[in-house]
Amino acid sequence: MKIAKVLKVIDQGWVQKPEGFRVHFQKKTDLEIITDFVPGTDDAPFDSDVTAWRTAWKLYQSTQSEHPDFGQGKLINIYVVDAAGNPVKYYATNRHEVFNPNKV
Amino acid sequence: MVDQFPKLIKIKDVLTLYGQDLVQSMFFLVVGLIAIRLIIKLFKRTLSKITPNVPLVSAISNTIYVILLVTVITTALVPIGLDTRNVLRFLIIISLVTVALIIIFRPYIPSLPFKVGNTIKTGELLGKVESTTFLNTRMRTFDGKTVWIPNSKILNDYMINYHLTPSRRVNLDVRIRYDQDLMKAKQVLEAIMIEDPRTLAKPRPIVYVTHLLEDCVTIGGRCWVDNLKYWRVRCDLLEKTKLRFDNEGIAFAYPQRDVHVYNKTKLVEDAPIKASCAVPKDDDFEDMQ
Repeated sequence: MKIAKVLKVIDQGWVQKPEGFRVHFQKKTDLEIITDFVPGTDDAPFDSDVTAWRTAWKLYQSTQSEHPDFGQGKLINIYVVDAAGNPVKYYATNRHEVFNPNKV
Repeated sequence: MVDQFPKLIKIKDVLTLYGQDLVQSMFFLVVGLIAIRLIIKLFKRTLSKITPNVPLVSAISNTIYVILLVTVITTALVPIGLDTRNVLRFLIIISLVTVALIIIFRPYIPSLPFKVGNTIKTGELLGKVESTTFLNTRMRTFDGKTVWIPNSKILNDYMINYHLTPSRRVNLDVRIRYDQDLMKAKQVLEAIMIEDPRTLAKPRPIVYVTHLLEDCVTIGGRCWVDNLKYWRVRCDLLEKTKLRFDNEGIAFAYPQRDVHVYNKTKLVEDAPIKASCAVPKDDDFEDMQ
């Protein structure tokens, strides 16, 4: 097998390189649960999972406050996904993490 | 003083004849120059809002400035009685001669190895070039300071231009203890670099064992990133390395030296302390000299 082919196999089978990251969260209202992303699916995703996880954590922290803007809905199931929408492992623990988990 | 009278009378005659025209001409010139200054300032501000390309804005503004300047000078010379066509011809000849001289002597003129908008490092200063003149270069450092550097200093010192190459290498040098799993450390470090979307696939990220020091093994991760993303990628990779190594149970090394004392005889408690705390006398210094 040629080296180029071997490298291709390694790239496809070993560590994957995501194209970008988004913060996934759900907003709980009286009637329904709305799923949203930061940045939105129409915008360019974050190029850094560090930035994405930091944003997720700040978002989670904001749900702990008693700010009047969060009175209508509570943000739940906050985690980072890649550009394709698959959950991304938290880089610090190398495990899937969810901030403010809430079974829907 | 008496000798000066004929000259003064001559000046008076000239002023009487052409004074009004001269004043008119000077008025056009001064007003024209002020107007050009305002127009160019306004134009630059408007153009900067349309395009963020600083060199392009600068080039267009300079061209318009020259055209307006020629127009104002020509207009100012008309009241004196000079023929506009001759003035224009004269200015065109001067311009062409200047351009020709620049083309001929350009290889011999020391030029600055950067353009406006480039990120450079000269001496200890790192920042973005905002403008250049014949005498100095204005640079904005990344901590918000504006620095004017003499061009002579830039030309006589080393200088790094980060815009000439599109990518840059990130070095991640990590020191681990000898009793740690070296292969696991290499694998984790390589995975951290590969899984970052900003690291380039070619050249591939790679990990070397760079040193076997007396207190640690040094492994060096090498990956390439776009020049503009260098700083953030480096910081993110360092953070991930620290956290992932902690999570994987790979201990970092810190400078240390183990001292093993093998002593067959029993130590007398007072004797070594007295010896180590002994204050040297003056005679001791004389002996040393």
